Amino acid sequence: MDIEAEVGQAGPKPRPKSPNIQIYRPQLTSVLSIGNRITGVALSLAAVALVVWLSSAAAGPQAYAACRGALGSLPGQIVLFAFTFAFYFHLCGGVRHLVWDTVHGFELRAIYLSGWAVVALSAVLTAATWIVSFQLGGRG
Amino acid sequence: MIVEHSDEPPRRTLLKRFPAPANFKVAPASRIAKGRTWPAPAGATRVKAFEVYRYDPETAGNPRVDRFEVDLDDCGPMVLDALFWIKNKVDPTLAFRRSCREGVCGSCSMNLDGVNWLACTRFIADMDDPATVYPLANLPIIKDLVPDTTHLSAQYEMIEPWLHSTTPEPQTERLQSPKARAQLDGYYECILCFSCTSGCPSHWWNGDRFLGPAVLLQAWRWLADSRDEAKEARLDTLEDPFRLYRCHTILNCTRTCPKGLNPGKAIAEIKKMMIERGG
Amino acid sequence: MSRGPMRSPLAEAMGLGSSKSGRAEWWAERVTAIALAPLTLWFVASIVATSRADYTSFVAWLATPLASGLMILLLVALFWHTALGLQVVIEDYVHSGFKFVALIAVRLGCFALAAVGVLATLRIAFGR
Repeated sequence: MDIEAEVGQAGPKPRPKSPNIQIYRPQLTSVLSIGNRITGVALSLAAVALVVWLSSAAAGPQAYAACRGALGSLPGQIVLFAFTFAFYFHLCGGVRHLVWDTVHGFELRAIYLSGWAVVALSAVLTAATWIVSFQLGGRG
Repeated sequence: MIVEHSDEPPRRTLLKRFPAPANFKVAPASRIAKGRTWPAPAGATRVKAFEVYRYDPETAGNPRVDRFEVDLDDCGPMVLDALFWIKNKVDPTLAFRRSCREGVCGSCSMNLDGVNWLACTRFIADMDDPATVYPLANLPIIKDLVPDTTHLSAQYEMIEPWLHSTTPEPQTERLQSPKARAQLDGYYECILCFSCTSGCPSHWWNGDRFLGPAVLLQAWRWLADSRDEAKEARLDTLEDPFRLYRCHTILNCTRTCPKGLNPGKAIAEIKKMMIERGG
Repeated sequence: MSRGPMRSPLAEAMGLGSSKSGRAEWWAERVTAIALAPLTLWFVASIVATSRADYTSFVAWLATPLASGLMILLLVALFWHTALGLQVVIEDYVHSGFKFVALIAVRLGCFALAAVGVLATLRIAFGR
């Protein structure tokens, strides 16, 4: 609604907008929601990595070894760990969303309980996956 | 850790605000400048500081935050009482909306300690020290704590919040069973304070087109009404990637509703009805 | 978006009217999510199980009808879900003309990546 720009007059000074994200308190609701979005975007990068990895396997043993080398390096392992957590967080958060889509679990108590469950379960599943992987002898 | 009712005040959280720069994406005219401090009267023993957003449309200058030291022994228990104390005893130019002072009219909705609520139903004792009082988030400000809700009211008008029927009016009342009437419980009680809409990040980024939780809750109120005969038109109006589907179930709305209503659930019901009619 | 000065608030709110679409994308995102839950868990379990395997045994495993079939289903569901999710993110945050460039790039990019992934899987399945 910028009347000044349209009509071209210097009318009363434009109204300021009250602050939003600059002052609004982070709560479990908004934090988990943006977490689901951030992990989702991270997983889209993981999807690209998946295609690169599959292509390297199709290309032959040398390409595959190079890909595995990159994944097995320290930065590669850190990235894989981050992708693992992002995956479980987005999966658990996604299940929470699917339950909401059936119009269940909307009472505040259920929202908060399920929210903390997503955080806890993601951490536990990430740790479990990596522990099992190391037991079986090396990741990537 | 577990919140059971929306009237639980915000607990001490890890972060008071998102880790975005203080003036992130803020237009120059909206940047908040330093304000002045109004000390407590001499002899006051129980004092609490209130940091209050101020804006004067009549003088040049940006909004600012003034610090008022309020004598709690001289003022009632609710934040609205503190605002009245400031206006009566310290700065009569402080502007804020108010009416019923009992949480039923929706006039005094504002942002208290980072969350939207009604000033008249928030105890001063539950506020931080210093307490922060800002207007409802993401709205053009007319003066001080008075936001311009014209656009929100226009979005409400757009969903035609009245009974539509083509069937001729009955001679007596329009019949509705108690079970059908119960479908409106939790939705008709909305006082249109817009705390929810103002706290919705999706409405912050796309409020020009996204209707927001308050309007969508009312849209559901009319969709759920057995006497209404315009479900098709209502659903057609809503079925839009922006009007309805900018809702990503963030649920700040349900957390912040001063009447304990559930806009998130109402929107989920609308989406469910969309799927039902689609196939 | 201003179509004239002093437009009424109601006209501003109405904008260009409802597009009467959006339900299908919302539903597709949910259906692909439901498909992805078991498929991704299978994938993670398989990765962990084959993490010690050498190239030949890994390729032999992936070439089996079950593994290659599930991998193809995973790629399709994954990139469909990714395209829908990124589309929503772009629509939320990008409001300039660049929005359409980004939307097209995401859609075409996801399609291309899915195609490359499926082709790689088929090459392995049918013996490179």
